[in-house]
Amino acid sequence: MPFGHHGNYLRIDVSSGRAERVPLSDTVLRQYLGGSGLGARLLLDEGGATADPLSPEAPIIFAFSPLVGSPLTTSAKFAVVSKSPLTERFNDSLASSGFAIAGKRTGSDAILIVGRAADWSVLVIDDGDVRLEPVDDVLGDPCQVAEEKLRARLGADYRIASIGPAGERAVRYATISHDGRHAGRGGSGAVLGSKRIKAIAVRGTKYCEWAHPRELTELSRDLSKRSFGPATAKYRELGTATNLLTFNRFGTLPTRNFQTGTFDEAPSISPEQLRVEHARTRASCVACTIGCEHIYSLGNGTVRLEYESLFALGSLCGVSDGTAVLRASQRCDELGIDTISTGGSIAFAMECVERGWLDEPWLTFGSGAAVFKAIELIGQREGVGAILAEGSRRAAQIIGQGSIAFAPQVKGLEIPGYEPRALQTMALGFAVGARGADHNRSGAYDVDFSDKVDRRNATLDSVRHAIDTEDRAALMDSLILCKFLRGVFTDFQVETAGMLHAVTGWDVTAAELRDTARRIISAKRQVNLLAGWTRDEDTLPERFLDAPLPNDPAATLTRERLHELVAEYHRQRGW
Amino acid sequence: MYVEFLGIPRERAGISELEVDAATLGQLLGTLATRCPGLGALMTADGFHPSIAANLNGDAFVSDPATPLAEGDHLLILSADAGG
Repeated sequence: MPFGHHGNYLRIDVSSGRAERVPLSDTVLRQYLGGSGLGARLLLDEGGATADPLSPEAPIIFAFSPLVGSPLTTSAKFAVVSKSPLTERFNDSLASSGFAIAGKRTGSDAILIVGRAADWSVLVIDDGDVRLEPVDDVLGDPCQVAEEKLRARLGADYRIASIGPAGERAVRYATISHDGRHAGRGGSGAVLGSKRIKAIAVRGTKYCEWAHPRELTELSRDLSKRSFGPATAKYRELGTATNLLTFNRFGTLPTRNFQTGTFDEAPSISPEQLRVEHARTRASCVACTIGCEHIYSLGNGTVRLEYESLFALGSLCGVSDGTAVLRASQRCDELGIDTISTGGSIAFAMECVERGWLDEPWLTFGSGAAVFKAIELIGQREGVGAILAEGSRRAAQIIGQGSIAFAPQVKGLEIPGYEPRALQTMALGFAVGARGADHNRSGAYDVDFSDKVDRRNATLDSVRHAIDTEDRAALMDSLILCKFLRGVFTDFQVETAGMLHAVTGWDVTAAELRDTARRIISAKRQVNLLAGWTRDEDTLPERFLDAPLPNDPAATLTRERLHELVAEYHRQRGW
Repeated sequence: MYVEFLGIPRERAGISELEVDAATLGQLLGTLATRCPGLGALMTADGFHPSIAANLNGDAFVSDPATPLAEGDHLLILSADAGG
């Protein structure tokens, strides 16, 4: 058995209940590492690129990584890889915590599921033994309730990933949840639901050995120490939600379906105000020393709040009631839907109502009650919710009137909370992203908030920076390490090469890891090519092109400029 | 000129803004070290810690201590990792 890996993936056909361990060569593991990279490779090998993502033959892959189970901080993460039912393109979404460790201990580097169970089931993987059990008692339950019930039934040592009611109803941006966290984007919950799998329960005893344990312990100790420093203070002390006021100050806070970049009422939904009205506690994933989760009290319960949820359900919908935003975010978690796509789809519908193109007069900007009602309808796929459950791109195709021009999406994936006209390196990252508009696969906003570029006037020099952040993200998602660590590294590739050496024994170099990142990016692109991708998809909606951002006339991204940036990106990628 | 603090710098400074006189970014940093001692851990001998960024008037991000500052300028000091 190779160090750090098991050297196989567990392939399960839930139609027949048949399971087999398929060998993974050392070459494949070294070339694709784990997580997103390994998932992309397996998706290609299993023909997932051309399958209907909600069909029985479509694979969904839970990929672990060489660093999972090691003492390296933030390494307890897993990637869920499939073709997206929202974008019909490559999708990888990541989540954290005990499921990653327990899943790897079942004895495989990935779990690949195809087929469709005869009845709604929980897929139980007990140290590699596989069985399906009925879930009549948890069907329709919110994610966390389902997890609790299944652990009570199966045993507290199981770790469980589940879908909520939205995944059962194939909402195209349904999530897979574990321990309150979500593999959120792109609709992996709908893919799992299409297989009639409500949850996956894992436990195991199969540990991987490390090639150089003493070296690994030293590296882990050093990384943990650095993770307590200034580079992660923002996440630890304030959480990502603190971005809200910063972005508002810069005029880059998407507001009212990207109609403008400032929200006058932003202070009323800021974390600074929320913590006045709601008690706040902190938590962290298993094996993490950062502790970025900021959890607010809400009624008898609690809700985790991230910037992306705050902007999508707050400023993007014009909602200035902080409690309403918390409640909306909590409901999304219960139903198991991606908050960014939810907020984007609702905000798009609000603008359609405003223009008189959608006859839902209650669905108005600024109404927290309307956002909550829309979320309920999406989760139930009822009324206008049946349209919005399809995402903003499909909703625009249904509504017509040229509304696709302001549907806030790229390749069908709703745009995160970064105004593209005012953050133009990020605009390029959104346009070329394999899974669509995405802040987790391109960290180009870091470049825009630096002295490397003029954020409102991107030049061809911006392209290499966008590529660098995309390559770094590909590595972090494959090793896997949390991106909140990115600021602690002096030379990311050099340092992670050392970690990989300590775990696997490979004499891997920084140069090799740079090649690995490009290989992983290419594998994602290969999935898209087979799925029908064309270069025309690498763009932004009409709203963002040529016209200035209303609150900032200097923030204008011309069609010609974006075209040049995308062309240069393709040239530098060698595509 | 005005200095506005956002995120962690605001937490450390204990205030949201400050009015100061400074002809260069370097001079300003010296003043801040004195007037906002809580910012000390975010500063190095050459400027701000890499986790902190400074932006002039909402336009350019600046780090060179020789960067000239003028009366009426507005310097924003924020966490460098803007993402979430």
